[in-house]
Amino acid sequence: MRTPRLRRLPLRGADLVLAAMQSLWKHAGVSNNTLMVVQCDGPIDPERITRSLERFLDFCPWPAARLRRPFPWGKLHWAARSRAALHVPPVRQRRLRAPEALHAELEAELNAAIDPRREPPLRFSVLDYTPEAAGPQSVLVVTWFHPLMDPRGGQNLLSHLAHLDEIDGRAPWGGAPPAFVGNPDPRPLKERGQLGRRSQRYMRTLTPVPPVSPGTGLTSPGRARFRQASFVGDDHGVGGIRSTREICWRLALVGRTMAELWRQRGLPDVPFLVPVSVDLRPKGEPGPTFGNVLAFHFARFRPSETADLAGLTRALRHQMTDALRDGQIDANAVAMEFLKYRPLSVMLRDLPGTATRETFSFNCADLVDFPAALEKLFGRRVVNAYHAPSVLPRPGIGVFFNRCGIKNNLVVSWIDGAVTEDEVARIVEMIREGMGWQTAL
Amino acid sequence: MTMSTGKLSRPDPEGVATAVMDFINATIMARSRPVRPDDDLELAGLDSMALLKVLLFIEARYGFWMPDEDLVAENIRTPRAFATYICRRSA
Repeated sequence: MRTPRLRRLPLRGADLVLAAMQSLWKHAGVSNNTLMVVQCDGPIDPERITRSLERFLDFCPWPAARLRRPFPWGKLHWAARSRAALHVPPVRQRRLRAPEALHAELEAELNAAIDPRREPPLRFSVLDYTPEAAGPQSVLVVTWFHPLMDPRGGQNLLSHLAHLDEIDGRAPWGGAPPAFVGNPDPRPLKERGQLGRRSQRYMRTLTPVPPVSPGTGLTSPGRARFRQASFVGDDHGVGGIRSTREICWRLALVGRTMAELWRQRGLPDVPFLVPVSVDLRPKGEPGPTFGNVLAFHFARFRPSETADLAGLTRALRHQMTDALRDGQIDANAVAMEFLKYRPLSVMLRDLPGTATRETFSFNCADLVDFPAALEKLFGRRVVNAYHAPSVLPRPGIGVFFNRCGIKNNLVVSWIDGAVTEDEVARIVEMIREGMGWQTAL
Repeated sequence: MTMSTGKLSRPDPEGVATAVMDFINATIMARSRPVRPDDDLELAGLDSMALLKVLLFIEARYGFWMPDEDLVAENIRTPRAFATYICRRSA
């Protein structure tokens, strides 16, 4: 297949924010990795993944690209050479001596920071183990440099690889490959400029004082850690849009667990500032794979407000509605697009608190359902799947929800030194209780 | 649906369901995956933010905001459920 000698994909919007936020900690060697962990009901053959990746590179070079910025004022972009010069990203296989070794292996993956300037921006690992009560199983781990794609993009990539694995010589995607990256905003520059400036003005009003987080004061961050737990239990109505499934309810509940942490530590009752990611893809189809196709809404509430969970959920819903009504979420997406014209060091100037590296109080996201289309993967049935992103030392903690089949997964990511394992265990238990979930067997 | 005769008439449930559906298809759904009046919006992929967009559409088009206590599955599950609620409110 003939391809141009050099292809470029500019980082856009939220990709740049993620890259810039990590740059606040560049001397601390903080990982910007994110993991997608897929547990299968039998051993996976790494050769099948490698073959799918080889085939995928015929259509899309970005898994083999490198991050480039030729000059400080140039655009940060992914660069890929012609197809013949592209190499498949690493696909490693490791046999674990005991299932208990799995978590340590996953945390090692999270901490082995990908340097996309010198290596591919993603890698695959197949971790094989044999539980006592079952036959051999594999866990497929996709690790990537977070600015490359968001969790939904990671799922899309896996769907594409699974499709290429299954087609058995036929033309992939019926001869019409999907768009792997999104289209630029078609609106005129003047209109986008106005929206971008409106977002800048809005951002300055978000918090009167920089937010406080569990990582405040942390100067020597430890390792990135995470704890994952699976639960079962239906969403139930507590008086609102889709009740416990609604992001506002979940954010209020997570806020209550954080408020308890604040009380235990004697942290001040200054407003929490929490970014809520909004997936910009049209609903009903996978959409782009590469790039973080996100905008952000910024939730603000005081720790003391979490005493009334239902009231706080309503308040957060109204806050989100106001942001939508005023066009602030659209304006945020547009404003982030303009970051490409700035060096990393000045990208975050408009975000409150970045001068002191106090960005947010904590992270919280619902990464929604693992696609039903990925029920089978490389010949094996998917038993469970979840995402575990690394968080920055400040805030130092993030809580992430997702669902795979009947399993509700909860992942708490943190930085050693910001919170303790006991504190994380308490947070997980409080959320389980608040959601009315039972531990999955 | 409000007619353009200068006089308010009772909304027609079928017309309202179509208007809600058209809004969702034009601003939320992928072009290749339009919803129909009886499709479950959660199964179609609408998240919390998308549902808030629908509420803002209803506010702009029908002149009222759905209060929190009415945001239950019975009223928001499908475009037709929205329409039934809107017609009841407007009666």
